[in-house]
Amino acid sequence: MNRFLNFLKGKWLGHPLHPILVHVPMAMWPGALIFDLLSKWQIGGNAMVRLSFYAIVFGLVASLLAVPAGVVDWSGIKKEKPAWKIGLYHMILNLLVGLLFAINLGLRMQTFREATTVAGAPLLLSILGTALLIGSAYLGGMMTYTYGISVARMSKDKWRKIAEAGGANLPPE
Amino acid sequence: MVKDFLEGKPLRHPIHPMLVHFPIGLFFLSLLLDIASFVFPSVPNLVLGSFYAISLGVIAALLAAVPGFADYTDIRRDHPAKRTASAHMILNLIVVGLYAINLAVRFSADVDLRVHPLAFSFSLVGVALLSISGYLGGRLVYDDGIGVGRHKRHMPAPRDTIHLTVPIPGADGVFVPIMAAQQLRERETLRVEIGGQIMAVAKVDNQLFAFQEFCTHRFGPLSEGKFEGFNVQCPWHNSCFDVRTGKVTNGPAKVDLKIFKVEMREGKVGILLPRETKSA
Repeated sequence: MNRFLNFLKGKWLGHPLHPILVHVPMAMWPGALIFDLLSKWQIGGNAMVRLSFYAIVFGLVASLLAVPAGVVDWSGIKKEKPAWKIGLYHMILNLLVGLLFAINLGLRMQTFREATTVAGAPLLLSILGTALLIGSAYLGGMMTYTYGISVARMSKDKWRKIAEAGGANLPPE
Repeated sequence: MVKDFLEGKPLRHPIHPMLVHFPIGLFFLSLLLDIASFVFPSVPNLVLGSFYAISLGVIAALLAAVPGFADYTDIRRDHPAKRTASAHMILNLIVVGLYAINLAVRFSADVDLRVHPLAFSFSLVGVALLSISGYLGGRLVYDDGIGVGRHKRHMPAPRDTIHLTVPIPGADGVFVPIMAAQQLRERETLRVEIGGQIMAVAKVDNQLFAFQEFCTHRFGPLSEGKFEGFNVQCPWHNSCFDVRTGKVTNGPAKVDLKIFKVEMREGKVGILLPRETKSA
């Protein structure tokens, strides 16, 4: 169990796993919206419709892996910290976004093989999903860049040595 | 001003790491579509879709490069992460170059149900190099805190460490003049190394203060911190210290900072080191 948790935290990589995996849905779903808009403007035809479909699938698969890694990172944050609440909103929004793109995919199932332009309902879901995703991703970025979640978690021994060589007061090990 | 924008200060989030999701995701997608075109030769439009994915990826990569350069120039010249950042940048330039050629090969080949073998090999190499480069970019953030807490700072961070040697000690300690401290503006900082001791020198409320450079929590760079009143806030996990006393005023840090005496002697501002730390 512990080994599995460490795997999800990315210790084996020396890099947190969640922020790596989220590149996929974060690129695929806004990408799907762009491909939808292009197909709507008669660019790319069925290739564009299929591309959007495949992008949504790839995003969903990767997000299934990103969820447990994210939950593990979040569970390491103390509840009284501001980042805990931000993480909670980030998670709720992401679950909603994932659900929206799953429905979106379902609506495309019957038509993507032949269609040369995206239909109205899936396009709307792509717009809504992308908007929420951007909001949610911003919160995720805030956790890293404002609150330093996972920052210097795996490099603290390296920095401790540098600080020690620089004559700093140090915390007990 | 432009640099502040490229560093994402108005957004309170660096821009380069936001944009890189797109080339990373799209180049991976294109490789998967290429592979799918081998596995499912009867499925139409996979190769064409891959071409579109690469096109969008290249556009996004070029957009991401601009704030990336701004972030790169912001890293202190003697920072251990500078080399990682150089490797990250060079690899990324190679990857974009490879994908530009890749696109040209795909464009000139008649698009059919199978991806051009030369284009496919470019994609394989491209994704491999991009994975390494993306990993290095992540290490810059999660190991070295590059870009972390940067938007909170009001003034530019020190570009270099000033190295000073320790002169012969006097009766009451060692006085080391710091010429650059004279020109410091309010809330601006210097990063100074005197005989191995690394410290931040900051001007707060028109007075100079000197304290250890490294936060006592995870050793974040206090010369890149944010100043509010007489507090310095670590850019990484927001620990706060009183610059006058070195005392922790807000966690997660629990241990106080080492502070140094700033004095004026014969018209020169400098640090008065106690005698026992005189080692060169």
